[in-house]
Amino acid sequence: MSEAVAALETVGLGKRYGRKWGLRDCSVRLPAGRIAALVGPNGAGKSTLLRMAAGITRPSAGRVQVFGRAPQRQTVEVLREIGYLDQERPLYRAFRVEEMLRFGERLNPNWDTLAAHGYLSELGIPSAKKVGKLSVGQQAQVAMAMCLAKQPALLLLDEPLAALDPVAREGLMHLLLGSVADGQTTVLLSSHAIADLATVCDYIIILSASRVLIADDLDYVLASHRLLLGSSEGALDAPSGVVVVARTCSERQIELLVRVEQPVDSPSWQVVEPTLEEIVLAYLREQSTGIPPDIGASESVEGQQR
Amino acid sequence: MIEPAWRLQRLQILVALVVVVAFAIWIAVTGSLQATAWTTYNVTRHCLDVVATRNNCFALGQNYSTLNNFALVNLGLAVAMPALLGLVLGAPLVAREIEQGTNRLAWTQSITRTRWLLVKLGVGALACCAIVGAMAPLLEWWTGVIHRGARILPSLFDISGFVAVSYVLFAFMLGAVLGALIRRTGWAFAVGIPLYALARFVVRDFARPSLVSHSIAVSPAVSPAAGGISSPIPANAWILHSGDVPLGRFSPAPGQTWQSGFQTVENCQVAAASQVDANRCIAENKLHYVVQYQPTGHFWALQGIESAIFIGGALVLLGITVVAVRRWRT
Repeated sequence: MSEAVAALETVGLGKRYGRKWGLRDCSVRLPAGRIAALVGPNGAGKSTLLRMAAGITRPSAGRVQVFGRAPQRQTVEVLREIGYLDQERPLYRAFRVEEMLRFGERLNPNWDTLAAHGYLSELGIPSAKKVGKLSVGQQAQVAMAMCLAKQPALLLLDEPLAALDPVAREGLMHLLLGSVADGQTTVLLSSHAIADLATVCDYIIILSASRVLIADDLDYVLASHRLLLGSSEGALDAPSGVVVVARTCSERQIELLVRVEQPVDSPSWQVVEPTLEEIVLAYLREQSTGIPPDIGASESVEGQQR
Repeated sequence: MIEPAWRLQRLQILVALVVVVAFAIWIAVTGSLQATAWTTYNVTRHCLDVVATRNNCFALGQNYSTLNNFALVNLGLAVAMPALLGLVLGAPLVAREIEQGTNRLAWTQSITRTRWLLVKLGVGALACCAIVGAMAPLLEWWTGVIHRGARILPSLFDISGFVAVSYVLFAFMLGAVLGALIRRTGWAFAVGIPLYALARFVVRDFARPSLVSHSIAVSPAVSPAAGGISSPIPANAWILHSGDVPLGRFSPAPGQTWQSGFQTVENCQVAAASQVDANRCIAENKLHYVVQYQPTGHFWALQGIESAIFIGGALVLLGITVVAVRRWRT
């Protein structure tokens, strides 16, 4: 792996709200040029992580760096590297769309005026309309266009697809992918729509209950997990050499999601390649039913050491 | 950043401008009526001796006092204007952004929070100063109408000269800092009004009298009951204190008040059989009548120093606002 500075690196990062931790002991290294998905249930700390990366929230513990700089110091050097789309997509509602773009143009030296207008005309958003009069989907698109036209090196997108209809979703993803196609931009986007992400992302971070379960290349995560299906009639032990992440039992069948280092060859188990969604759900389900968190933590460390 | 800052605040600024222009027209109209009424009344006030015009004269007098009641309302509005204008523009400056979450948009552009804040504050402060500054000559004319030449008196001082510009800056920064700390526009405004009033009250009643060392006029001891003080005070001066105090002093002796001397003189008057005896009694007590006052000549010095106080206060609030915004966390 290259020694180049990471787009985003957190070490022991934590944020406490009163007595409760919103994010705890988060260590993630996102190499530049990746499109990373940040998944996890509501309240897992996804927005907290993104906000700390964007310099809006200060960490209570640990540190976060964007291209080697601390975002909470709010210097222009780090701010211009970041394109942040907040979950609520705040915009000045009293502005016309064109005024909103002008705002971006005036405040960002790398602003791509042509692209900004291009995005909006491509999406069919009238530039003379008040932002507050646009539909939710259109507002999300304007907010996204603002992020992209800024031409940041790191896009931090908090639920960019939430509350959008399928057409708007596709339009937004199209916009995003077209804009980052050059491979120069790193993207970290949080989402619930795991199926959509599988085709787009090449890196995945799974958060649950304020902790990192997995942070690794998508290909590696897919290759290193297997679903094992076995009959529940015999009391089956898991094959040796695998780590059981999740176990689902029904009347007839036992289903294990396991982490493997080498191909599983066991006559009593049927081995299936899982989808990303199955892996994510398995991790989150187990986390919520009380799997010891150190399993996840140790795996995420392993992933980084590779 | 200046252009976006203007776009963000233009609605409030324009609404404020419309309200202030309406107020200015109202002041101009009532002021003119009052000036006319005063002139007419003053010219004909001796008419009461002439039987033929007595009724007419009475009507003129009534007209004048009606307009005087208006004047009180106008005075209140003119005094309140810098406070309301400053708080209306200042309170939402940071708080509205936090309420609507747009701070998360603004603070992730390629500009530091401090610069964002300073430019927004600059635009708002400029608008405040321009509006209040434009009103100043009109109010100056109007104070002349309602109370000729007495603009150093506390009730008129606040709306005369240029001191109101410092008031509006202070109110604006007060609104901004409260907005940044409380993060609610409404609350910032609601808390700002009493705090502004308190600051103004403290400066007006406790600081202003001694901002410039006062002048002193001395005359023989008198009692207030003796009717009319024929003192050598220049016209339209702002009298701070007056009373009978021991000879050689220009303020009451330690442990005594300005009233104590009057009481002594009063006692002499009551006890004495004749005015000669009374005068002897007063002379024995070795008192003289002292007036501490600020002459009209101190007007501009007082305006300058009081402006400096409020501008200094505004700068302190500016510092707190910058720190609050830089340290803002979710």
